[in-house]
Amino acid sequence: MKFTLEIDGQTRQVEIEPADQPGQWRIQVDGHEVEADAHLLRPGVLSLLIAGQSHRVVLDVEHFEPALHLGAKRIPYRVDDPRSLRSRRRHGQSDGPVTLRASMPGRIVRLLVAKGDTVAAHQGILVIEAMKMQNEIKSPKEGRVADLRVTPGDTVAAGDTLATIE
Amino acid sequence: MFRKILIANRGEIALRILRACRELGISTVAVYSDADRAAPHVLEADEAYRLGLAPADESYLRGDLILDIARRTHADAIHPGYGFLSENADFAQSCEHAGIRFIGPTSSAMRILGSKTNARQAADEAGIPRTPGCVHGLASPEEALDVAAGVGYPVMLKAAAGGGGKGMRAVARPEDLPSAFAEASSEADRAFGSGEVYLEKLIERPRHIEIQILADEHGHCVSLGERECSVQRRHQKVIEEAPSAVVDAALRRRMGDAAVKLALSAGYTNAGTVEFLVDDNRKFYFLEMNTRLQVEHPVTELVTGYDLVHLQIRIAQGEPLPFTQKDVQLRGHAIECRIYAEDPANGFMPSPGRITRLLQPGGPGIREDSGIYEGWVVPMDYDPMLSKLIAYAPTRELAIARLERALGEYVIGGIRTNLALFRRILSDPDFRAARFDTGYLDRLLTRVPEGPAISPNGAGAIPAVAAAAFFEATRATLNGNAHSRPRLAGGWKTVARREAVGEGSGKASRP
Repeated sequence: MKFTLEIDGQTRQVEIEPADQPGQWRIQVDGHEVEADAHLLRPGVLSLLIAGQSHRVVLDVEHFEPALHLGAKRIPYRVDDPRSLRSRRRHGQSDGPVTLRASMPGRIVRLLVAKGDTVAAHQGILVIEAMKMQNEIKSPKEGRVADLRVTPGDTVAAGDTLATIE
Repeated sequence: MFRKILIANRGEIALRILRACRELGISTVAVYSDADRAAPHVLEADEAYRLGLAPADESYLRGDLILDIARRTHADAIHPGYGFLSENADFAQSCEHAGIRFIGPTSSAMRILGSKTNARQAADEAGIPRTPGCVHGLASPEEALDVAAGVGYPVMLKAAAGGGGKGMRAVARPEDLPSAFAEASSEADRAFGSGEVYLEKLIERPRHIEIQILADEHGHCVSLGERECSVQRRHQKVIEEAPSAVVDAALRRRMGDAAVKLALSAGYTNAGTVEFLVDDNRKFYFLEMNTRLQVEHPVTELVTGYDLVHLQIRIAQGEPLPFTQKDVQLRGHAIECRIYAEDPANGFMPSPGRITRLLQPGGPGIREDSGIYEGWVVPMDYDPMLSKLIAYAPTRELAIARLERALGEYVIGGIRTNLALFRRILSDPDFRAARFDTGYLDRLLTRVPEGPAISPNGAGAIPAVAAAAFFEATRATLNGNAHSRPRLAGGWKTVARREAVGEGSGKASRP
């Protein structure tokens, strides 16, 4: 099967087919063929042999965004299936309202703006506290605060919607 | 002899103490907040009781609740660990009144040495060198200006009740002093409930070197060598090691003698740490005393061979120290990394949450004191320390090599950690040559801006192959057949999502 992979700041066309032996795969990356022996040791941990080189690959998922631990590096990636509605939407999404989500669990300490306010790009929207540290969450763009979903004292989980900027 | 000890702490240190108790045949009582019901210290203890809500002031700082549980469970003693109530003299006194041993110094010794201004007075009385400056809290900005003029700029303002870099301000010019005084005082008041601030001369590019002491209740006190703790970020220790590259036997003896003298002068008992600054000329200045077990105690354990928690318990039982100063021999080198749930690539933002993957290192010379497991949700309510990874080897060079090797084996997924920061520090030529001072790490971090790892174009297709193979292998395993033909891409994505929500393959639905 074929798909597009956004990985390590690059977009790559990948095609993968099972080879003759169990665990063996023929993989084309941007047209270059690679033979790989991949063995899933347990969920999330893969032993990968490529031309005799052994790689330990560990899957790390944070807030539904996958990443690989490979050697000393953590490499985030994204799979784009061209048939998926969600990917098509993502490609067209540069203007429009932006949802501000909590990047970590925490407690809302204070709000720096009110619903309806006009904000500049990088202007502070609110302050979240976790592990004895306070962090200001900033607006990703210039616009208007269309929605503000939290109040001081609220506890939020990672990925929770905090505000919408349009 | 103690039959039962209540451990008034959480995380790795609660487990560390629990293990020592088990080794000594003492049963254990754990306490926990609502955020810690599933914490490993609850699982491993013989008994465990709820304290209250997640915030520390409603749970681990509630000395009244902890004492009540100790009474009801007939615990003989309470081990406070570090942080929380460990340096709270009022709590130690309540334990004394309740007839329950507080494993640490007496409340009176804690009052003398735990306050930085009181400890500076004690250092003067014991004739121990300290940084020039005042030994009392400053009453006004005018007094601060007077003291600063006497010692010369630059100066450092510090909270008397302080710790962890809070209530501290470096001041280079007199005109900046009044505002810095007001800031330091209000920050100290907010953090420690006391706005008392004192002033000392700022030692330029100092090393932070501390001496571990142990004192029994029969007047014996020994020093167990030094720990080099100069690798700090914003006054918080990041890497500690023993011994220090700049401390020779003569300096070690002089610093050890000073630490012992200070402890004995205050009638100090149990484990304690006397912190010093050491300047370029290897002159040392008393900084403060920590009247408890330190986070970094394992490096001392490894180079001395003594178990500090065992000895704390034996001292609290009234036993004399089982060895004398001349028995203390240092052997080899130990280095510790404090592994935190924080993201060095993103301004050291805290990163609490579920640990979805955990591969921990092992092998020769590696000790890990950890408080985590795969599936554990790191709470947002406490300090972000997850674990301490410690390497021990005959030489510093080999200890670094072992630590690098162990870091290479270590994977923590689901949350961000500072593991990559240690790889960077350990590979830095200045660190490897032990050329550092307390400003070293902050300089290292500004020198090369921290960013997400980016490999150069055409650096190889391995990550892409890995991502592709990963999901094909996962899918094949889910299907129970490595060679089933690929199904629709939608199914492929479902697998990815299933992985993403952390379901194991065993639970996944089979076609």
